[in-house]
Amino acid sequence: MEQRAHFHKKLEELKMQVLRMAALSEKAVYNSIKSYLEYNSDLAEDVIMGDIEINDLENAIDRFNLELLALDQPMAKDLRSIVGAMRITMNLERLGDEAVNLAHRALFLSTRPPLPYNQKMEQLTETSKKMLASALKSFVEEDVKLAEQVCAMDNEADELSLKILKQYINDMVTESRIVERGVHAIMAARHLERVGDLATNVAETVIFIVEGENVKHRCRG
Amino acid sequence: MAKQIKVASEGLNFYYGEFKALDNITLEFEEHQVTALIGPSGCGKSTYLRCINRMNDLIPGTRVEGRLTLGNEDIYAPGLDVVALRRRIGMVFQKPNPFPKTIFENVAYGLRVNGVRDKQAIEQQVVESLRRAALWDEVKDRLHSSALGLSGGQQQRLCIARALAVEPEVVLMDEPASALDPIATQKIEDLIHELKKNFTIIIVTHSMQQAARVSDRTAFFYMGRLIEVDRTKTMFTQPKNKQTEDYITGRFG
Ligand SMILES: Nc1ncnc2c1ncn2[C@@H]1O[C@H](COP(=O)(O)OP(=O)(O)O)[C@@H](O)[C@H]1O
Ligand SMILES: [Mg+2]
Repeated sequence: MEQRAHFHKKLEELKMQVLRMAALSEKAVYNSIKSYLEYNSDLAEDVIMGDIEINDLENAIDRFNLELLALDQPMAKDLRSIVGAMRITMNLERLGDEAVNLAHRALFLSTRPPLPYNQKMEQLTETSKKMLASALKSFVEEDVKLAEQVCAMDNEADELSLKILKQYINDMVTESRIVERGVHAIMAARHLERVGDLATNVAETVIFIVEGENVKHRCRG
Repeated sequence: MAKQIKVASEGLNFYYGEFKALDNITLEFEEHQVTALIGPSGCGKSTYLRCINRMNDLIPGTRVEGRLTLGNEDIYAPGLDVVALRRRIGMVFQKPNPFPKTIFENVAYGLRVNGVRDKQAIEQQVVESLRRAALWDEVKDRLHSSALGLSGGQQQRLCIARALAVEPEVVLMDEPASALDPIATQKIEDLIHELKKNFTIIIVTHSMQQAARVSDRTAFFYMGRLIEVDRTKTMFTQPKNKQTEDYITGRFG
């Protein structure tokens, strides 16, 4: 017989709230990437304005988590789900911040002539979007295998970001007029790499929730 | 420092007539540790506890198989002095059961039964036991009034003092706080933390939170079997068995 039906309903409600926040953060990241690639300043501003909602949701989820810990004294997987929800929302909030950072780069670049085409940059946007999408899917479905795949992709993002840095440095050496734009582009690559890092944190937390294994700082190759 | 095993059971079976209430329980209890036995009602926790000091002997038609040891001694060795055994393994019950005598006499009782005659020695031991049971300050001015005038929580601590007076090595507690209010419960729990410095404690509790708060190790019983035993920290954060997980998260029980 289910003894703690009421509490388990609240846990489901918690997961729904985290998923709502995840949807907002994911949308912010997607839109910031789109605004960057398409020099779309309107979209970049939307991302920047939208961050308030993500921050508010984080606060609401934090309060809910504290309440569950204090009133229901959860144990085992229930406890890990709540601690995990705290970690995930913290990373979702930072994902929102990275989206805002990227949107600022997009705003700046939208007022300047385009930079030389950089294929690696497009690749990095794809990689970080995929890492984030997979990390969130692994959370929804409690899919440890998928979470592990996200961790494994982290290297790829790091390497791409390094190659982008080198390429823009080369471009800047040959063409000094693009230095200012180039620096912004390098920062943008850094924000995208951070998106990959934060997605990896989410994936590690999924493994923690499901298996109780703390893989923090371990699962990256 | 190598851990000292104070009590151990090996392949322990217990029968009430035809009914097998304990099935192949192998479990060790370390000295100066608190071990909690948890599990749904009827899973055999009390039966197991009563095997340890042979309280089940008093129930007709029961039978024990396997091995239970206290230190190196076989608890079920033929010819073993059961009264002496129960002096070494004290017990505290769910409901406080003081005798209708004075507070002093309740604690002195075990000593007298064990043949202690020296008045001064008895007095010293009564005071010491009341102190250990964290009751001394509350009763020192009325040692010779009736124990029945104490509150439920005080009565339970008196029963603990009575159990401690004969200097047992092991103290068995069967849901010692289940009849008490939250404050009295907290006092008993604090007391358990103190007592383990001198005694080995095995406690049955139906409250998972209580097991988590007071014990070093937790054993989960289900339908007469030992399902899982581990450090309490591990049991309540990362149990290995699915049945344990479901029970402690309240998904059945
Ligand atoms: N004196 C007894 N005679 C027959 N059956 C008993 C007796 N005491 C307990 N039982 C049975 O043994 C099983 C275990 O009981 P018990 O040890 O009291 O469980 P718990 O303490 O975990 O609630 C239960 O099925 C119970 O009905
Ligand atoms: Mg019982």
